Amino acid sequence: MVDARSTIPNAVKRWTAPVVRWARRKSPWVLHFNSGGCNGCDIEILDLLTPRYDMERLGILKEAAPRHADVLVCTGPVTRQSRDRLLRIYEQMAAPKWVVAVGSCSCSGGVFHGGYNIHGGIDKVLPVNVYVPGCPCRPEAIVAGIAQLLGEI
Amino acid sequence: MVPFRLLVYPGFLFLFFCAMLFSWLDRRIIARVQGRVGPPWYQPLADFIKLLTKEDVLTTGAHALASSVLPMVSLVSVLTAALYVPVAGVSADSFDGDLIVVLFLLSMPALTYFLAGWVSVGVYSIIGGHRSLLQYFSYEVPFLIALAGPAVLSGSWRIADIIAYQGHTIWGALTQPLGFLLAVVGLIGKLKRDPLDIPKAKSEVVGGPLTEFSGRKLALWHLALDMQTVVGIFLLVNLFLGGSRFLTGLPAFPVFALKALGVLLMLSLASALYARLRIDQLATLGSRWLAPLALLQVAVVLWMRG
Ligand code: SF4
Repeated sequence: MVDARSTIPNAVKRWTAPVVRWARRKSPWVLHFNSGGCNGCDIEILDLLTPRYDMERLGILKEAAPRHADVLVCTGPVTRQSRDRLLRIYEQMAAPKWVVAVGSCSCSGGVFHGGYNIHGGIDKVLPVNVYVPGCPCRPEAIVAGIAQLLGEI
Repeated sequence: MVPFRLLVYPGFLFLFFCAMLFSWLDRRIIARVQGRVGPPWYQPLADFIKLLTKEDVLTTGAHALASSVLPMVSLVSVLTAALYVPVAGVSADSFDGDLIVVLFLLSMPALTYFLAGWVSVGVYSIIGGHRSLLQYFSYEVPFLIALAGPAVLSGSWRIADIIAYQGHTIWGALTQPLGFLLAVVGLIGKLKRDPLDIPKAKSEVVGGPLTEFSGRKLALWHLALDMQTVVGIFLLVNLFLGGSRFLTGLPAFPVFALKALGVLLMLSLASALYARLRIDQLATLGSRWLAPLALLQVAVVLWMRG
């Protein structure tokens, strides 16, 4: 993970790095973007906010502005129309940032694979950190995926 | 003694601690009302550190100097206001008329909030900024009039005198229940919390004026808002929930903390229970109902003074 500021001396960094990593692990704010899916996965993502799954336990907040978010949670395949927007949203996010592809579509194109208007999975456009397959994937799987991402941070 | 009061208690460190604690309690209470578990106790701290270490993006066209100075102005004015708000009877400083200075300093963040939307040239930021200004005119008038009640009743604009007056008689919330309610509503508007979170309604204007802020600046904004919550709650406790005749110094602290947590509980329950108002509904409510009711309260207070 590249720190935005390189003016900090290394000795200080050695002490602060564990704290920073801890904070990043404990507070991933997610931004959700559907780049062309059928909306099935989106509803599963919204499930995570309900009392049953309660993402806030893990410090996960759903943000509306790309600038505030750390994790981009994508659903659906990348269509020709949404490609530029997806890229733009990704570029608007402040580093460090991560991408989670939720659903078979965003992993590989899924049922839309080979369609005339489809580029393919999210990884055709953006670097993806974690893939969560399923059509639609279960909320438990999404939580497991994000937890895996948090382990990697 | 003075540096200790400025920096540790009841100054910066204590306020920082309270800001983190209150923001966690608030999120936790809301989660419990919704039947969820809610975030762990270190959540606000983790959020704060994470934001501090994130990249700081400046939008094209945004004013670089203004967008970095504004969050600081907001934070500094809240901290300055905190100097004059006693915590359990202890304040860093106090003079005749400090209530007015505190009220002025506590309304500075609203102005910086509006300007934040203005300098960061985003569509949502500007709409959010204008909404916050409109909201400001709706809640600030009844809020100021309601807070004038205790001052008029005790015949002094010094917060310490108002506390002492309540120590001799009874709580301000008992003599002016209406004023207390209006002050709580005004505080909700000031802190831009649900149900008056019109300027930063996520489903309408994304992040409001803060949409384009990230990294350290966003961290400062959040900190300023959390501290404003703390100072606002302390101010209401001082003005309406009375001092104590018997306890002074350290023993008074638990009582004060309980009162402050009571006000926080009111704010959190209001957020959890009520849906957001539209901006025109708020403007109507503010100028047709809240402000006249606040005037009525002051008239009653004048009558009580005889
Ligand atoms: S993976 Fe399945 S449910 Fe999810 S967006 Fe694609 S088609 Fe819809």
